Amino acid sequence: MTDNDVKTRLGAMEARAPGPREVPNETAAPKARRKLFGSVALAPMLVLAVAATAAAGVAGVAGIFAVTSHEGAENSGQPLAGAQLECMTPPQAESYLAARGYTNVVWQVETGSLAEGVDKSTDQSSAPDHGFVVPGFFFNDGKLFMLVDQRDGTTGVGNCTGFSVP
Amino acid sequence: MTARVTGRVTSRSSDASSDAAAKAAAFAAATTPLHEGLVRRLVLVLGNAADAEDIAQDTLLRGLLAWHQFDGENVHGWLYTIALRLAFNHLRRRRRWLAILRGAKRTEWVDHVDPDLWSSIQRLDARVRAALLLNVLDGYTQREIGTMLGVPEGTVSSWLTRARSQLRSDLTTQ
Repeated sequence: MTDNDVKTRLGAMEARAPGPREVPNETAAPKARRKLFGSVALAPMLVLAVAATAAAGVAGVAGIFAVTSHEGAENSGQPLAGAQLECMTPPQAESYLAARGYTNVVWQVETGSLAEGVDKSTDQSSAPDHGFVVPGFFFNDGKLFMLVDQRDGTTGVGNCTGFSVP
Repeated sequence: MTARVTGRVTSRSSDASSDAAAKAAAFAAATTPLHEGLVRRLVLVLGNAADAEDIAQDTLLRGLLAWHQFDGENVHGWLYTIALRLAFNHLRRRRRWLAILRGAKRTEWVDHVDPDLWSSIQRLDARVRAALLLNVLDGYTQREIGTMLGVPEGTVSSWLTRARSQLRSDLTTQ
């Protein structure tokens, strides 16, 4: 396998990749699809809440899918803006939060393997001793959700500083 | 007096409008030919066609707003720099979001024609993958890639060595 082989195969793969589905209009507003998925790129956290309700005396249950947006806890204007919890170990983040009165925290620990796409979530009331901290969001009841990524293959690269965009 | 002021304002407004139109036209002429390739590159980096289109759109919007800062030398490199940095920021946020949604998986584009190569490059970190593509497909030097991705040249060198080694290993054993 030579560099030329790699170049040829990568070039062919890129040519097969899907291209734009419409003529670009650089002055147009982002597409409507962004309201759901694209808005994630702009930081709000989305939580899919599934609620089942039943009217009194009615046997049937109606499922209601509600999409609720939650700002990231470190977003500008949010209570933890600039805290840079992602630069701390989980115990450090827990201490930082506790010192500021955030004791009602749900620590969602992600385990599994990044390469194999295996992902398991476990909630706990105290921070684990290792893993990459990912700032979460405040739920409706004010409870703070924090994430800790412990998946195999997670490097944490870029988690701490982010990238500036020209 | 009033007429002169009005005339001047009208003239300035007209100048500004034509300046904006000229700017948009120049931007479109420079970037439209790159749009398709940019989307395809972002698909390889992000692994998701819808995300790639969104980031490409954001790139064009950001590019238009920052067009006056472009030095006029390499529009490909300039546009790809914006796109890749937006893509990396997007990946960081997507990781958080996916974790919160617990197990929700987004539809990803998979190359069924060359699955071994696809699988191998998808195992690379997104920045390493982007660096490899910039080097192999576009011919950018390690220094240029370092500038584009905001990392030292030595880091790029290490990334490329690691990426080539992984590809070689994966593709010769399969």
